[in-house]
Amino acid sequence: MSDQSVLEPVPTGLGNRRRVMTSMHRTEVILAVISMLAFVALAATTNGNLLQEGTLRAVFQFLAVPMVIGLSQMSVLAVGQMNLSVGVLTGLCAMVSASLMVQNGWPAWLAILAGVALGAFVGLINGLLVVVTRINGFIVTLATMTVIDGVRYGINGTATFQGYSDELVRLGRASVLGAPVVFLVALVVALMVAGFFARTVPGRQLLASGGNPLAARLSGISNDRSIVLAHMLSGLLAGVAGLLIIALSGSVNASIGDDLLLPSFAAPIIGGVALAGGVVSVLGTCLAAFIVRLVDVAQAQYGINPRWVDLIVGAVVLGAVLLSQTRDRGRAR
Amino acid sequence: MTSMTQSDTLIAEGLVKVFPGVRALDGVNLRLTPGTVHALLGENGAGKSTLIKVLTGVYRPDAGTIRLADGAVVHFSGPLDAQRAGIGVVHQERNLVPAFSVAENIALQSLTQRFGLINRDAMRSLARESLRRLDVELDVDQPVSRLSVAQSQLVEIAKALALDSSVLLLDEPTSSLTADEADHLYTVVRRLRDQGKVVVLVSHKLEEVFAVADTVTVLRDGRSVAEAQPLAGFTRSQIVDLMVGRAHADIELAKRTVDSSAVPALELTEVSTSLGHQGVSLAVQRGEILGLYGLVGAGRSELARALLGLESITGGTVQVAGKPVTIRSVGEALHRYRIGYVTENRKEEGLFLDQPLNRNVAVTVWQRLSRAGLVRDRSEDQVLEKYVERLGMRISGPRQPAGQLSGGNQQKVSLAKWLAAESEILIIDEPTVGIDVRTKAAFHELIADLAISGIAILLISSDLPEMITLADRILVMRDFAIAGEVRNDHVYATTSQAVIRLVHAETAA
Repeated sequence: MSDQSVLEPVPTGLGNRRRVMTSMHRTEVILAVISMLAFVALAATTNGNLLQEGTLRAVFQFLAVPMVIGLSQMSVLAVGQMNLSVGVLTGLCAMVSASLMVQNGWPAWLAILAGVALGAFVGLINGLLVVVTRINGFIVTLATMTVIDGVRYGINGTATFQGYSDELVRLGRASVLGAPVVFLVALVVALMVAGFFARTVPGRQLLASGGNPLAARLSGISNDRSIVLAHMLSGLLAGVAGLLIIALSGSVNASIGDDLLLPSFAAPIIGGVALAGGVVSVLGTCLAAFIVRLVDVAQAQYGINPRWVDLIVGAVVLGAVLLSQTRDRGRAR
Repeated sequence: MTSMTQSDTLIAEGLVKVFPGVRALDGVNLRLTPGTVHALLGENGAGKSTLIKVLTGVYRPDAGTIRLADGAVVHFSGPLDAQRAGIGVVHQERNLVPAFSVAENIALQSLTQRFGLINRDAMRSLARESLRRLDVELDVDQPVSRLSVAQSQLVEIAKALALDSSVLLLDEPTSSLTADEADHLYTVVRRLRDQGKVVVLVSHKLEEVFAVADTVTVLRDGRSVAEAQPLAGFTRSQIVDLMVGRAHADIELAKRTVDSSAVPALELTEVSTSLGHQGVSLAVQRGEILGLYGLVGAGRSELARALLGLESITGGTVQVAGKPVTIRSVGEALHRYRIGYVTENRKEEGLFLDQPLNRNVAVTVWQRLSRAGLVRDRSEDQVLEKYVERLGMRISGPRQPAGQLSGGNQQKVSLAKWLAAESEILIIDEPTVGIDVRTKAAFHELIADLAISGIAILLISSDLPEMITLADRILVMRDFAIAGEVRNDHVYATTSQAVIRLVHAETAA
């Protein structure tokens, strides 16, 4: 029995290996195919309008925030938690950075750094609240969402900040080799998040805690630390999303981030991330964000009533969850 | 077959239930006669729980028939079917809705409606009637959460009888009751018998069984070895022989010699815990396998959890390699004192089923593998490869998700995880539950080899043959204390008798 080497698959193992091409990879492949087809179909039916430089740039420019916000939600889903405060937190970080530049005259780099740090700090608070009070993360972040919502309006009322930093806004609209800088930033962030979960010890511990808290605990992993870390990472990424928004829009007010909660869930859920925790997919999340973005583009191109966009995205999320449930049931057998 | 066949309430014949790798029931017969208390006995894993689940419609049998008084063969498609057919059950764990009132709980399955609303008067009178039949006084409007354990147990019996059941199954009904409460319960049981019902009693407490039961069925290895015999014809000793029975086919394991004069790898002196352990003392040497035997609920796994820092130790001393230690967390137990815990529930506590094998094994050593904070898949593969060979795992590749392996291979993954962490003390909890016989033998050799390599092993098992095959000494645990020690001479007949007698010793002793 002991001469069975690892690399030599047993006869039944070949079938297994095909099954090892797990549901995760399958989801990513399906999403890649769907996004390609959707993109081609959209380009064809709009007579190539989509491929014009300006349109194409806009498609990717405004993909940056949904991508990062999706990754922010994914980080907490990894430990089986949810973060309802991502959207308003993004707005808060943007508002605070803008306020520091406009009202306190901080240099742009320092102000956006402060914004991102604020995001991580609020995430840390979320995580500590969950761990210390043992209240469900859904409830905790529902509460912090409401608090942050109020704080956002406390900074500058309903007024708008603008003209805070010309360089930053120019950078937000610039391109390198045809790719928008903000999109490249989002891409780098995605790669770093992927590296974190795949390669670092805390990243793996986080997934272990999410996949099986009991087993993780018995393996000497602190689940509490994993939860705090996941929320902190989520907040940090919300801060990054806030920074992208400042650079992209040129003006921010207290309502920024209100419409980000659904997209934050849509990307990871469609992307095949397990709601129960333990399984993440950065690629799936980014592809799903791209598909949702294409729905937006289609709306603009075809002049569809914007209300239909939410309906479609909602329906796709529901469908994705149903699909993943049937998939899990299939595996359990 | 006797002449009573006509009047029997329930006859089960040739019941078979197969789970992957194990025949839990392998041709069980059961005949229940009205107006009797029928004891269902057997050691852990003999098939009692499975039989109860088949009779109450939770499992469907793979073969065999169940016939009721009218002679019709029934096929239960769910628990509700069995209840409608007059089979009520009170499980070992409580199954009441705490926030509901006594009446609401009792009437839960038989709510009468009036104009689409629940008829609360009918509900209350049904509850009162059910309780009166048991001669139990309780306010039917108080919430169940305010009742004592014994009271809520009586409510469950009332609930089981609310559907006018003719058979009542009681699974270990007195395991959490005081002696007085148990007496009251058995008064109720006798009353039900006098009303012409059959009460099936599953209990490990032989003295109670002899005091209350009329007939007995004994299960062993999924077979009935005594079928509906009058209990009066047996002595306690004969019943124990029937339960343990079998001439055990010994596996020859390599002889081990334990240096009992050396400093023990792990030593407990008069340890008490927050869970209720009292004065637990034991010592394991390097290279020794110390068995910890006892009934389910005797406090063995709980002791292991306390040792690992998952529960608190409130008194006594724990020494690792002769030095007194205080273990606060599993991380500390593992990395500082090299104590590993191979859990009983490998699916729930041992493995990350969605994750690849290499991560499952390397989880305990990520810190050590990491270079500049990063862990490479390749270095995890190397850890896994080492144990694939040593433990004889059958896998298709290092990235295969753990959930796809068979039970035995999953257990090996769980074991590999602790070996990778270079554990010097291993607590192995029920290593072969749900594993087929052939793999079981291989596993026994493996555990013996680990001991030979110098690891101190604390083996928790409810499988007596396994215990006698592997252990050097066997400690018997009862009610969160050590009841005694048996030096294992690996002769099944004598050692098993000695162990079982300790397990079932009179409480007065």
